[in-house]
Amino acid sequence: MLSNPTFLFLQTFNAIALGMNLFIIAAGLTLIFGVLRVINFAHGAFFMLGAYVCYSIVEQAGNFWLGVLGAGLALALLAWIIERGLLRRLYARDPLAQLLFTFGLVLVLGDAVKFIWGTEQYSVAYPAGLSRAVDLGIAHYPAYLLFLCGLGPVVALVLWLGLERTRWGRIMRAARQNREMLALLGVNVPLVYSGVFVVGAALAGIGGALAAPRLALTPGMDANIVIECFIVVIIGGLGSLWGSFLGALILGLVTVFGAVLVPEWEMVLTYALMLAVLLWRPWGFFGREQG
Amino acid sequence: MRKIAEIGVAVLLIVALGQGGWAVEPIKIGVLYPTSGSGAVYGTSAMLGHDMAVEEINAMGGIGGKTPIVTVARDTKLKPAAASAAAKELITKEGVDVLMGGLSAAVGLAISEVARREKVIYIATIPKAIHMTTSKLHPYVFRTAPNTDIEGRGIARTIGQLGAKKLCQIQFDYAYGHDLAAGIAKALPQEAAGAEIVLDLKVKLGATDYNTYIAQIMGAGCEGVVSGLWGAAFITFAQQAQPFGFFEQIKYVSGGEIASHEIASKMKGNYPDNVWSNAYELWYHDASPLHKRYQQELARRQGRPDTDGWPILSYIGVKFIEAAVVKAESVDTQALIAALEGLSIETPVGRRTIDAKTHQANTGQFWGPMKKTDEHEFRIMDPVTYISGD
Repeated sequence: MLSNPTFLFLQTFNAIALGMNLFIIAAGLTLIFGVLRVINFAHGAFFMLGAYVCYSIVEQAGNFWLGVLGAGLALALLAWIIERGLLRRLYARDPLAQLLFTFGLVLVLGDAVKFIWGTEQYSVAYPAGLSRAVDLGIAHYPAYLLFLCGLGPVVALVLWLGLERTRWGRIMRAARQNREMLALLGVNVPLVYSGVFVVGAALAGIGGALAAPRLALTPGMDANIVIECFIVVIIGGLGSLWGSFLGALILGLVTVFGAVLVPEWEMVLTYALMLAVLLWRPWGFFGREQG
Repeated sequence: MRKIAEIGVAVLLIVALGQGGWAVEPIKIGVLYPTSGSGAVYGTSAMLGHDMAVEEINAMGGIGGKTPIVTVARDTKLKPAAASAAAKELITKEGVDVLMGGLSAAVGLAISEVARREKVIYIATIPKAIHMTTSKLHPYVFRTAPNTDIEGRGIARTIGQLGAKKLCQIQFDYAYGHDLAAGIAKALPQEAAGAEIVLDLKVKLGATDYNTYIAQIMGAGCEGVVSGLWGAAFITFAQQAQPFGFFEQIKYVSGGEIASHEIASKMKGNYPDNVWSNAYELWYHDASPLHKRYQQELARRQGRPDTDGWPILSYIGVKFIEAAVVKAESVDTQALIAALEGLSIETPVGRRTIDAKTHQANTGQFWGPMKKTDEHEFRIMDPVTYISGD
């Protein structure tokens, strides 16, 4: 099987497309954890909502890109309301309270999806212009999946530039290091927190919308993705952007080639990978050793 | 005086028992279809056929003009555990005389097990896993749906006609997928000599990402794919496979009734080329008087001329019970079992007979390629071939 160039070529691109889609979603999770120190279990539910919002917009307006934009904006608005109205009351409390809160959100948002969209399975068509295959010499490959392969590094670069080269990015990094000092310097830390939560949730929503054409939409589609996102950020290092990028790529490769080469062990492989990283380097590839 | 009294009692008895001599109390049918969740598209369709048959019979005063049918319906949610609990509740709490329905092999097997334990007749109108009428056969289960051997033969025969030799297979990893794969393997040597399955893929039920499997099939260089991905799974698979140029290179021969109008009308112009599949009933095919009448009534209920294909399954199930009660002149379980064994009835899609030994009806299916037409925005099967269940 591995000696077949068409097979290798198609599966490698599949792995990259899956990995890059995962990265866009997981980047939001790692951003929220990096600054807010909140483990957001509801990140998968944000992803699911993004996919459903995109579906509704595509059904109404017939434009996929409008759906992606709408999903990002809808999740940003929802995250703003959640952070301002509820989450910020829990920052001073035990981390367990935050964990329980985000877990509660998973249940509420899951039921909201069933209430609004029902339990039927939906699908979103590939966007016009990217619905055909591109001839790459060895084989034809779907243009949309190729687009995802390219979009991942672009998003990574934009986020990195935003964090490293802008004033807002510097403030975010400072908030990660010492929020009290930042407040003493006159920075509105609660606003920074809201901003980070909003950006993180918007990334999940956009990731959900981008995933919609390559998946089917069903209630419960959040369960797998949140596990995969946690594996990505654990492998890469909690709070590390490039760590998430690498983690997503590795998970994409393991998932795709695992499903093909050892289908019976596909699920076990991803957990084994996480376990191995935790044993060898508990803080992940790009994470920093605590204490 | 005594003679007058005797005559009076006899008259009362005749009135009480009715003309045919069996009880006038209604027969209670416990119906189990998924009316919510991903199976709802077929479950609600099946409920429509069931209600149509029951209303037709009750409008004539019930079975034989005197035994009305009472339906007690429960949602299985496409889950074996929910179906099993509902079946038990229908028997113990509602006191149903017969269980009917089931959708998906796992659900069918779960209901069948309850029927066996509780000694209540179960008419499996949809589940196809072969085990239900072979290794797991018991006196109380009857199947009016086809089985996976019949369906596998349809797939193999189509492959034989197309002349594809190098085949890939993609099936769901649960009872139906396993049994259909076995049915295909059994039939291939007779129906498509020289054809060989070189790649065998099993997909988790409920999977939504098929890209890896699609790439595997493309890489294997198969001329044809045999499959049983049904319902929304086929729609998702086709959507993901089309940009790979999948259907331009590979002949896709599938069970799972993806040629049914429910799927064709949902996919419309997105329905791919090169698909050969099966259906239980086609609104545009076979204009026998019985089919015409059935289709017209269904069209009236659905409010459109292009009616769904799945209501026929539950419709036939009810018609078998009607015929069994008439034959047995009783609603007693043992009498109904005896009546169902070997029972033959005329249906809108042809004559159906339940084998006395296997309890399996000789239900075949319509097979053919799905073609575009200028008249409709959806595809239709053309030409249509009936592959018998005999």
